[in-house]
Formats: sequence, structure tokens, C-alpha cells
Amino acid sequence: MPAAFAVTSLRKRFSTRLGRTEAVALDGVDLEVPRGEAFGLIGPNGAGKTTFIKCLLAISHPDSGEVSLLGGRPEDPRTRARVGYLPERLTLPGAWTARAFLASVARMKGLAPGQAGLDALLGRVGLAEVGERRIRGFSKGMRQRLGLAAALVGTPDLLILDEPTDGVDPLGRVEIRQLLAAELARGATLFINSHLLSETERICTRIGILSRGRLVRSGTLEALTAVQQRWRVRFAAGPELAPGPLLALGFEPVEGGAWEIAAPDAPALNRALDGARASGALLVALERASRDLEDVLTEALAAGAA
Amino acid sequence: MRAFTVAGDLLREAAARRWFLALGIALTALLLLLLTSLRLEVVDGALAASRLFGKPLYHDIQAADVALRPVFLVSSQLVFWGGLGFGVLACADFAPALLSPGRIEHLLSLPVRRWELLAGTFLGVLALALGGAVYASGGLVAVLGMKTGAWTGWPVVSALLAAVAFGSVYAGMLAVSVWVRSAALSAGAGASLVVLGLLATHRRTLLDLMGAGLGRTLFAGLTAVVPPLGRLADAAGALASSAPLAPGGLLRLLAGTVAFAAALLAVAAWRFERRDF
Repeated sequence: MPAAFAVTSLRKRFSTRLGRTEAVALDGVDLEVPRGEAFGLIGPNGAGKTTFIKCLLAISHPDSGEVSLLGGRPEDPRTRARVGYLPERLTLPGAWTARAFLASVARMKGLAPGQAGLDALLGRVGLAEVGERRIRGFSKGMRQRLGLAAALVGTPDLLILDEPTDGVDPLGRVEIRQLLAAELARGATLFINSHLLSETERICTRIGILSRGRLVRSGTLEALTAVQQRWRVRFAAGPELAPGPLLALGFEPVEGGAWEIAAPDAPALNRALDGARASGALLVALERASRDLEDVLTEALAAGAA
Repeated sequence: MRAFTVAGDLLREAAARRWFLALGIALTALLLLLLTSLRLEVVDGALAASRLFGKPLYHDIQAADVALRPVFLVSSQLVFWGGLGFGVLACADFAPALLSPGRIEHLLSLPVRRWELLAGTFLGVLALALGGAVYASGGLVAVLGMKTGAWTGWPVVSALLAAVAFGSVYAGMLAVSVWVRSAALSAGAGASLVVLGLLATHRRTLLDLMGAGLGRTLFAGLTAVVPPLGRLADAAGALASSAPLAPGGLLRLLAGTVAFAAALLAVAAWRFERRDF
């Protein structure tokens, strides 16, 4: 099965009308995301994330490089018919009703917009009650939900969502996460571009970090956040827990009352744990130490800048 | 073909705009006013007396169809020039709105080709122009036909010429919008084309008045390609008032107008296909 999308040596620069290069938005990006994954693209402002999405959908033309979308070319309407896209700042026709807008998207996708199908879609994004209201009266969050509904028209194989929870309240974010989880469960591939790292971390299984037009990190969330040869341990609190022996064994206290220890292999880890238990500490939890996405991003950007 | 879907959506958008609602209401009100206020007495096919708001209009007794010719001539000019002016103002925003950030990205992500978006926008505006022109002229023909029994389809055909003329002007507006997304520039381009079209009508006379030089060459070049809208308006008037018209001349005029619009649309499509959003 071909990848959900794959790009090779993707380059895009923006230049003035006189041909002078103003900025390099994408500088030789190589990336392949398998189908059925939830991929998150993160990076600072101006890293090239939105340009990457636009090149992927043939909204912008790359200067060089290859783009494959669901095994086809993004310029082919048949390929794009299998994609749902929510742009970063979606402009909606204010004079239309929500239902009329979705019906228009359905017609553009070559589908017959049935009343029941449109109602179901509006219900999925929490807009069932306002289907006949004009969009100009919608809040930012409602517009975002409607944009998401538009992306879901035709049950696409690939959903590309640029800041999907922007302007949505916390409860709405939970609903959107549940909706995206359902899409993932039915087999769709998700591509999420969000500046909210916690959102990305909760939804995505695979991450790419873009900095100054270059992909500086890419891989599964687990692999990117894992810290090799480092373990996090938790001991039962009580008088028997003496910090001195633990510190002598190489344990380091971390936030939340936990400890971390560096161990190159399993025997070394077990030796350290045996020593801790011998000192009276009672082990209650053990896991591989990991960092959050913010740490990974900070480190990647620092490495990219160096 | 998705272009028709785009055109349909443009018509739905137009139906929600105040400009077009106001035009529809104004035309309907005018026709209803004529229907209720105009009294025409026809005896043996001749217009014996006519009154508007109770005041006599004609004193001569004429065949009804002959008496109505000047009415149709004036109305055809109103539809032609009024339609051009209204269309330039009311339709200037369609393409810039379509190309607005956040909307064009969404449209281009849908399974529609770029040229289909452009063609759909053009077809939608053309359908609006045709609808408006046919509604106005058809309504007038119906009102006068009911009152006199003299029915003619030529004023409606004449209105179609007005729509074709506006099509050539809108092609220029669309091409400008593809380069620079601005309703003001689009309207400016439309107004300039109307003025150039008028100048092109009197091209030979004006060229005779000009001295040799760059200005004359430029004027000659511009007016050589722009459709002579005045001649089209004259032809529309002649058709509406059943005046004689050289069919070959009209066909050449129409072919030139259509070719001009097609060339501008081709340029617009060329630019649109290459543009990044």
C-alpha cells in the first residue's frame, strides 16, 4: 500500500516580482507518512509548515521535488477528492447557511448532498442546531467546527488539518479529539499542523519537526520522546525512603517525587534497584524516562540552529 | 463538469447580495408600475390612445408594433448601458472574493481544476447578466404585448447582445483580478473597457483627429482589439426596434467580441494555473 503522502527533496522559495529571493520556505524536505497514522507537523512560526501543506495539495507549486499524495499526483482532482482539508484561516461565505455551505462542498466533490448526510455531519461537529443559520453570525469556534465538517465531507482517506482547534473552547477541543480518534479508527490518515504541542501529543502517533524549511526530526512520538538508557522510578513514600543511599547509587530526584537513573542495560538497572531496595526503599513504579514534545522541539530547534 | 457547480454557487451567492436583490426588486417594481399605470387602447391593431398615469402620450394613430418601436429602442439602450454599468459595479467583487485568503486554498483543495474555477466564475456572472437582461426586456415585452397584442421577441434578442457585451468586459475584470485581488481594480478595469469600447466605436474619426506619434499608435492598437461597444449597442437598438441590420456585420461584431473575451480568459487561466496561494 502506498504511503498516505511522500515528498522528496521538496524545495520552495518565495521571491519578489523582480525575481529576487525573499525567503526559502522549504529547503529539501524528505518525508513519508504511512497510511492510518496520525502525523503532526510542528515547528516555530515561519518554519514552512503551511507552505508544506500547500505544496502537498498543489495550492502552491514547489520549485523542485516530488510530491505523492495517496499514491497519486496532488494536481489530479481524483486524488484531491479523497482528501479533506481545513485551512489555517478558513474564509466562509457569510451569507450562506451552514447546510448550504456543506452542500456546496459535497457538490464540488461530485457527491449528491442528501439532507440526512449533511445533518449527520453537522451533528458530528456539534452544529446540528444551527444548520439553517447564516454563517456570518457564527463565532470563531463554530466556523472552525464547520470547516472541520467540510473537511469530513465524503469520508476522505486523508485529513489535512491546519490548526484544527484554533478558537475552539476546551470542551470543544475534547469533542474534536474524539472525532479525530474516530476518523483514525475507521482507517483515515490524519495530518495535523498545530502550534499547540499538547494537542499534537495527544492526537498524533508520528511527529515531524520543521525548522527554517528543513525537517530536523521525524519519527514516532514514542521514539522522539524516549530518552535512551534512562529510567524513571517511583518509591513508596515513608520513613524508610532515605535519599542519601539513593543518591549514592546514582538516582537523581525529579519533579513529582520520582527518581531517575541512567542504566546502560538491564543488569545495571537491576543492580541499582537491588541496592535501593536493600537501603529500605520500596519500588512501586518503573518506566522508561521520556520527555514531552516541548523538550523535543526545543532540543531539535537548538540543534538545528547550531 | 465542475465549472457549472462553481457557476451555480456564484448564483446562490449573488442571490444573497443586496445589489442583486435591489436590482430584482427595482425591475419588478418598474414592470408592475407599467402594468398598472400604462393604458393603451388598440383598435384593429392600431394604437389609438395611450396614457401613463392618466396623461396622454401619443396623439398619432399608428400600428401598435410600429408605435412600440421607439419604446423598445430606448429600453434596449437602457438595458445595454445600464446593464454594463450595473454589472461592472455589482460583479467587481466576485473574483476577488473567490480568491480571498482562506477561501481559495479551500477551493483548490477540492477536486476542481483551476480553469474550472475560473470558467465557473465567468459562466456564473454571464448567467447573471443574461438573466437580468432577459428579465428586464422580457418583462417589458410581456407588459406591452398584453396591453397591445403586438408580440415580438427581438427586444429579448437585443438584450442577449447586451449580455455578450458585458461578458467581454467581465473577462477583462476577471483577468485583472487574477493578477491583483482587488474589487476596486476589477471595477476600474471594467469601466476602462467600457470607455475604450466607446472610443473604439469612433476609432476612425478619432484617429483622423490625432497627430502621428506614440499616443496615436497606442490608441490605434488598443482600440483595434477592444470590441466597439457603441456599435454593439446600435445593433442591439436596431434589433429591438425591428430596424434593418446587416447580418454579416453583426456576426463579425459578435465574433470579434467573443474572441476578445476568449483571449482575456485564456490569459487569466494561464496566470491562474501558475499562481501560488
